[in-house]
Parts: sequence; C-alpha cells; structure tokens
Amino acid sequence: MNAHLIKLEELLPSIRAQVLTGSAQVGVDGCYISDLLSDVLARAQPGVLWVTIQTHRNVISVAATKDITAVLFTCDRKPDPSIVAEAEEQGIVLLRTSLTTFEAAGKLWELGLRE
Amino acid sequence: MEHNAGGSDARKVSVAQVLVYELRVRDAMTRPPITAGPGDTLRSIQHLMKAQRISGVPITGGDKLLGIVSIEDIIRALDKGYIDDRAEQHMARGVITLRDYFTLVRAVAEFDRHEFGRFPVLDSNDHLVGVITRGDITGCLMQHLERRAEEALAHEAELRAARASDRTAHRVVVRAPVRTGDYDNAGKVSQRVRQVLRDRGIDPEIRRRAAVVAYEAETNIIIHSLGGEIVATIDTEKIVIEAVDVGPGIENIEQAMQEGWSTAGRLPRELGFGAGMGLPNIKRCSDKLEITSDNEHGTRLHSEVLIKKAGATP
Repeated sequence: MNAHLIKLEELLPSIRAQVLTGSAQVGVDGCYISDLLSDVLARAQPGVLWVTIQTHRNVISVAATKDITAVLFTCDRKPDPSIVAEAEEQGIVLLRTSLTTFEAAGKLWELGLRE
Repeated sequence: MEHNAGGSDARKVSVAQVLVYELRVRDAMTRPPITAGPGDTLRSIQHLMKAQRISGVPITGGDKLLGIVSIEDIIRALDKGYIDDRAEQHMARGVITLRDYFTLVRAVAEFDRHEFGRFPVLDSNDHLVGVITRGDITGCLMQHLERRAEEALAHEAELRAARASDRTAHRVVVRAPVRTGDYDNAGKVSQRVRQVLRDRGIDPEIRRRAAVVAYEAETNIIIHSLGGEIVATIDTEKIVIEAVDVGPGIENIEQAMQEGWSTAGRLPRELGFGAGMGLPNIKRCSDKLEITSDNEHGTRLHSEVLIKKAGATP
C-alpha cells in the first residue's frame, strides 16, 4: 500500500473530469466506490479517490472523517456551490464527470489505480 | 571504569545508611541531660534513675562533666553497703564522651568499641549538653525514616493530583443538539472532534475512528430519533462520545447491530444513509461501547476510543 501515488492530473483526461475545487497536483493511492456513506466510513482507506453519485453535503463530512483526498461525482451530477465551498475549506478535491460510475471505474483501473 | 562501577554502587546505599551519615549526635541525644551533683548520695541517684527510667547519670559541676554513675555502680554500692555515700566518692572519672557534632555513624562505632550503654555528649565548649544511648540512635533513625516515607508519599500524591488536574485542564467537551431530519448539519460534532484531535497530533487512525463514531451516532439521531444531543469529551487518555435521544428507542438492539439491517426511510436512503451499517461501524471503531434503549426514555449510546501513547503497542 501507498507504494503507488498517482497524480489526479494524470487521471483527468481519460475520465473526462473537470476539477470543481482543489489542486489536481495531489496524488491518490487507491480508489473506493460506494454511494452508501456508512459503507465508505467502514471501508474506505485514507488518501483515496472516492467515486460516487451522491452530491449531498454529507459526502464532504464523510470524506473529511476518513481523510479521503478527492471525490469524483459521476453521471454528470453537480453539487451545490455551498458544498464545493465546504470541500475547499476542508481541503478535499472535488471532480466531476459525465461518465457513469462503471465507466469511470474502468478507466481508473486502466490508468493503474488498482487498490 | 572501575571507578565508575564504584560510584554506581555508592548510589545504591539505603536511606538509613544515608541518614547515619547525615544525622548528628545532637539530633538523636536526650536533652537536656538528667544530671546529679558530686555531693548527691548514691541513694538519691538510684531514686532518680528509677523515676526517670535511665541507667546512668552524669555528675556535673556547673556545665562541666565530672564523672558518671551507672546502674552497675548503684548495684555494687547496695551490695557493699555504701549506698548513702556521695557520688564523687565512687563515680567513674575520665569518662569517654561524644561530641554533639559527631555523625551517628561515628557514634555507633564508639558504642561498638566501648560497650557502654550510654555516652555523655559535650559540645565544642566542653559543656555537657545531652546523653545518648543506642536506643536514642535507633529511635532517631526510625523517626527520620518515617518522615522521609511520609514526604515520599506526599510527593507521590502531589504528582498524582498534578496529573489529574493536567488531564482536566486538557479536557475539551463538544456538545451539540441534534435535530430530526437535519441532514444538512450532520457531522458538526464529528468535525470538531477531528479538529481537536488533529491539533493535538493524535494518531490519524484514532482520529478517524473517533470521527466515525461521532458521525454515525449523530446521523443515527437525525435519521431515527425525535431529536437528541451528542457530547464528545476529549482528554489526554480517551475520547468519550455520548449520544442521547428522546426516543422512540431501538426495538431490537441485537438486530440493529447486524450489518445491513436498517429501518431508515426513503429520503435518508436516497442521501446515502440507512445502509444498516451505522451501529456496526460504531462498534468496530469503539474500544468500549454501551447502548441502552427503551421506548420510554429513548436511546443512550456511550462509546470510548482510547488514545494510545505513541510507541505503545496497539
């Protein structure tokens, strides 16, 4: 674990993602996919990219609780500006893509994000 | 090296050994001395010994020591029939004395050498200032050992009290009311707990566990209860998270502890809650967990996450 840190900017073109807040220069060492907050609280490792369709404020709280580095919203879902502001305050990078979670997961796997 | 080895040995001497070097004859002796004059009869000295429960009486003229009459001298006088003679006729002269500034270790050596039961004690002006026996030395040592022991105990208690108040001084209490259905404010206590723990440099894993407990406990109140309160108390040893609500209570706690079992409605599920993992998550992250619930008083959750010192085994 932690052996392979991949910078977000290396992932962005393939998953066709835009940065909503934060720096794409930071790296992630794994990925977790879930739309259930408690599941993320239970299983996500710190320092990962979390992929979800949930755009509610609690995503930020959960990400902060688990020291998750970045969150990718899929299916063209767009969080409220107040949520983006809160993520910025908490130092969490927010990304957004029109891909489905499945498509995004496939791309991320191809790019070498395999933990 | 040998010199060092000797030094470390010297440091191992007992408190009693240190005391016999520190304490002086004047600290242990009986004073003022019970004395008699050269003209007093041996019979009156016998009565004095009996009354004072002593076995030897220095004979003085003014402050000067002239001689000593011991119990043995009295017995001999009774035996030989001169008990009504004056002290100066039979007292031992050229008495061996100790100085009041001698260390006790030297006094003990003098007792060993001379086998007397007592020594008159003179100060540096040759004035008689006291009498010392082996019993006086033992009593003095016991008294000082007791005082040292009491000081050590008091010091220990002081340290304990300081530690306790230190713990209190470092205690932070985060308290917040939690309203039913208030999904927008979920995680407020959790966030504050995380801040405090981060500021204190607490191990991130412990910080995350405490934050998960606080977050899940908070969302449980929001989703399932009619409202309540969450209190997180952080000190130097542990994080205690207490969540109390006014009802309606958990019908079956055992069932609620099972992963995947949920009574959450549609809205919270759409928001990503109600996975049936809240209580299992809390349990997994707690070092100690107590839940009591009934439909009259609601639910009370008490969780503790221990703060392990760096380097301690997990």
